[in-house]
Formats: sequence, structure tokens, C-alpha cells
Amino acid sequence: MRAGLEGEKDERLAALAAGGDRDAFDALVTRHRQAVYRLCWSAAGNAADADDAAQETFVRVYRSLPSYDPARPFGPWLRKIAWNCGLSVRRDGNAGVPRVAEGDAPEAIDPAPGPEEEAVGNEERRRVAGAMAGLPAELRMVMVLRAVEGLSYEEIARAAGIPAGTVMSRLSRARTRLLAALGEGSGGGS
Amino acid sequence: MDCRETQPLLTAFHDGELPAAERVRVEEHLRGCPECAALLADLARVDRATGVPDPGPAYWDRFNARVMDRVEREADGPRVAVLRPKGGWMRQQLRYLVPAAAAAALVVVIVHYGGMRPGALTPPVQPAVSERTAPVPGSEWTAKAESAAAARPVPPSAPAKERVATVTREKQDRLADGQGWPSAGAGRDATGSVAPAAGSPPVTAADGMTQGNQAERKKVERAAVPMAEQQGAGKATSAPGMRVAKEPSPGSPCELARALAERERFREAEDAQRACLAQDRSAPAQEKGLVFLAELLDRQARFAEADAVITEVDRQFPQSRPLDLYRQQRPMVQKRKE
Repeated sequence: MRAGLEGEKDERLAALAAGGDRDAFDALVTRHRQAVYRLCWSAAGNAADADDAAQETFVRVYRSLPSYDPARPFGPWLRKIAWNCGLSVRRDGNAGVPRVAEGDAPEAIDPAPGPEEEAVGNEERRRVAGAMAGLPAELRMVMVLRAVEGLSYEEIARAAGIPAGTVMSRLSRARTRLLAALGEGSGGGS
Repeated sequence: MDCRETQPLLTAFHDGELPAAERVRVEEHLRGCPECAALLADLARVDRATGVPDPGPAYWDRFNARVMDRVEREADGPRVAVLRPKGGWMRQQLRYLVPAAAAAALVVVIVHYGGMRPGALTPPVQPAVSERTAPVPGSEWTAKAESAAAARPVPPSAPAKERVATVTREKQDRLADGQGWPSAGAGRDATGSVAPAAGSPPVTAADGMTQGNQAERKKVERAAVPMAEQQGAGKATSAPGMRVAKEPSPGSPCELARALAERERFREAEDAQRACLAQDRSAPAQEKGLVFLAELLDRQARFAEADAVITEVDRQFPQSRPLDLYRQQRPMVQKRKE
């Protein structure tokens, strides 16, 4: 990445990229690719489609940059595109068939767990990942945006195009189901 | 505050989304209630365990380069539907690009085989009546042959030339009945789905972008399908060149909308499509369904309402591909109705 771009705001990078600055676009991709991938995964429910959708998201972003208004926040715009791409991939190829590879533990959320905690944490993460794949996409989405990305209800509402109250009720339903999956595996919870 | 009041608030409390006053009350309750405190701890536990499997550093190392490869591949050619749309991207692209060529090809075919004057393609008002009542020379197909056409299709073994002549006759009959052919299915089959609707200028062979040969006709048949098909509605066609419009049979509202649109009953199709949208609330169905609704409104010359639907699609689904495709086609749709 070209020096000096790291500190630039998304909207500025988008404007530079729209003017043909490939480094600026590259910086945008690097900055957002993991969050985009996670959102696509939450829509698609499996890694292969998440990859396809994440790639497609940035292709669409690139194509749409000339019409992007830098006065609008970049994040919600990007998330909306990513979510649509994730759903499109699922519809086109693997509707309703989420897959999670065996032993595929999601990345650690705890910053520095000890070895024992890590083993328990990995087991729980695996179990929750399995349960996540079985959730309806709209529940997975709010869960990923809240628990993984740390977005506010308002931000999630904007990304999902739903009222903030619905965000809360979906989160509540998602957590109840995930908790049940944890409980089943550990013989009744913590 | 008791447990019954507290528990519904725990999610928002956990997420830091509770207004300050309620937050204080929940905190007070939690201090004296181990049960609710345990529920709160469970929420935190679920969140800690929630994640998305990371594809690993090697994946991320290649990610940006793959995006750029894809961008460049698309820049070299037509916009490629990377998301594996149903029916292949070529069909998707041709859906809106080919109708003009298809119309010209049809005219050539009809003029050549059917003995019609190009001008006669404009849906007739008065002259059609005489066509309907008079048997067409050299053919046993008459204006009343619509149902007979269904009962007596040309055998598949009939030479292609004969089949084309036959369906051309069917087209004449249909025009004579004042129905025309479904413009929603422009280009789908050469029997007349590409025929201009009332008010549009007659297409002449001189306008042709391509020759009306059989290969081209078949290509057009395969390539161009109405927007409605994007919804995955049921099939309504038989063999190429053999299609006979049937009374829409009851099925899902989505299928009904499509069938009605093919018969140019756009007002009823609109109602069915609205029911379809109410039935399937999934985002992809809404995205494509709303675009189709906009098309139905355009076809009724209700352009302002169509604009509103399109604005809504834009708002809900930025960079929508179905909308992109329809925007390319829209001027043609609107022109027919102006």
C-alpha cells in the first residue's frame, strides 16, 4: 500500500479510487475485506459462497465508484452491497444449504485466552459456528454485525433495512438459539 | 423492576443500547437476582463464541489481486454476471440487447415465409377484422384457430420452414383478435412476442440488424426471456415456435403474474405480482419482484409509480443487477406506451 493512504478516511479513498487511483482502491479493499467476507458469510452460510460474494462485492464497488457520493458514509453503502451479494450467491447456487467444514473453528474473539480457556473457547466457537450456519440468514446477519463487528443497533438497522426494534428482537432470537446449541454440547450451560 | 420486566431488556442492556434510566433500573435488579445475572452472562458467552471461520493468511494474501483480476476481466468485455445467474450470463445479457435484432429478424422471417407486408405488423384495428373473417389463402389456419392451434400443433417432424409459416399464421390470427403478442416476452420466440405493441412504429426489414435466418431465430428464442422469468416462475413455453398462449392457470401469485404479463394483462399481472411480493419476503425475491413490478407499471404507462418502485429498489438494494438490466430495457418499454 502506498505510504500515506493508511490514515485516509474511507470516503477520501473512495474519491481517489473513483479518479483512477488503484492504490486507494487497494487500500479500501485491504481495510474492509475481512468485514465484507464475514458479512457475506453470514448471508451465504458457507466459505465458498462467502468468497465469491466478497469478491463480487468489491467488483461492484469498483464499478460503482464513479457514482458514489463521498458525502455519504462509505461503510453502510459497502455493507449493503456485501449483504446483497451474499444473498445473491446463496440464491444462485446454494439456497438454504449452509455448510460449515468439520473442525472449522471461527477466528478467536478473545484477545489473549490462556491455553485451557482457549480449548474451551475453541469448542464453544465450533459449536456456535455450527449453530450459526443453521440460523436463517437474517438472524446470522444481525449476530455477525453485532457480536463480531460491534455495530450499533442503528448501524445494523441501516445495513439490514429494518427498524432498530427488529434488530433487537432478531438478536434476542439468534442468541437464544445459539445458547441452546452451547447448552446441548456442554450438558446444560456454564 | 422484577424478572419479568427485566429479561426482555437484557439483550439491549447487554448491547449497551438501553436508555440510561432503564439501564440503572436493570442494574439494580441484577445486583439482587442471580437468575437474571446468569442470563446476562450467557449472552456474553454466546457473543464470545460467535465468529466467522477465517480463511487464513494465504487467502487474504491473494484476495486483492483476485479482485483486480476480476475487475480487469470485466473491463475487457461486457459486464459479466459473476454470480452465476440462472441460465448463464449470456442469456442474461442478451435478454435486453437482442429484442431489436429479434424484431428485425422476425420481420424478415415473416416477410419471407408469411407473405405479410412489414407494415401489417403494427397491430391492426380495422383491417384485422377482414383478416379474421377471411380464410388465409393457402392455409387452413383461420382466426378461430387459436384453440385449434393448441390441439393441432405442427408435428415436430415438419420442416422448420413450414413451422415458421404456421406460427406466422398464428400470429396473424392473434393480431386479428386484437390481442397481439406479449411484449413482456419480447424476443422469446419469433412467433410474435417481439411484435411491436400498439402505437409503436412498424419495424421494417431495413431496420434489421441481422438476417432472419433460422439460427438467429433460435438464438433469439433461447436468449431473450421476460423479466418475470428471473423470478423463477414456472415454464409457459412449449417447443420453439409452437407457443400458444393459454389461460393462466391458478398457481402461485408469482406464476400467475408472469402468465398474465405474457398475455399483456398487465393490470391483473400487477395485482398478482403484489401478492407475490407479499408472499415471498426474502431479499432476492423482493429485489427481482419489485423490478418486475416496475416493469408492469411501465407497461401500463404508469411511469411515476414505476419510478417510485425503482427508487425503492435503489434504496433497498444499491447496485441491483436486475434493476441495472431493466434500466437498459426501460426506454424501449416506455416508448411502446407513450
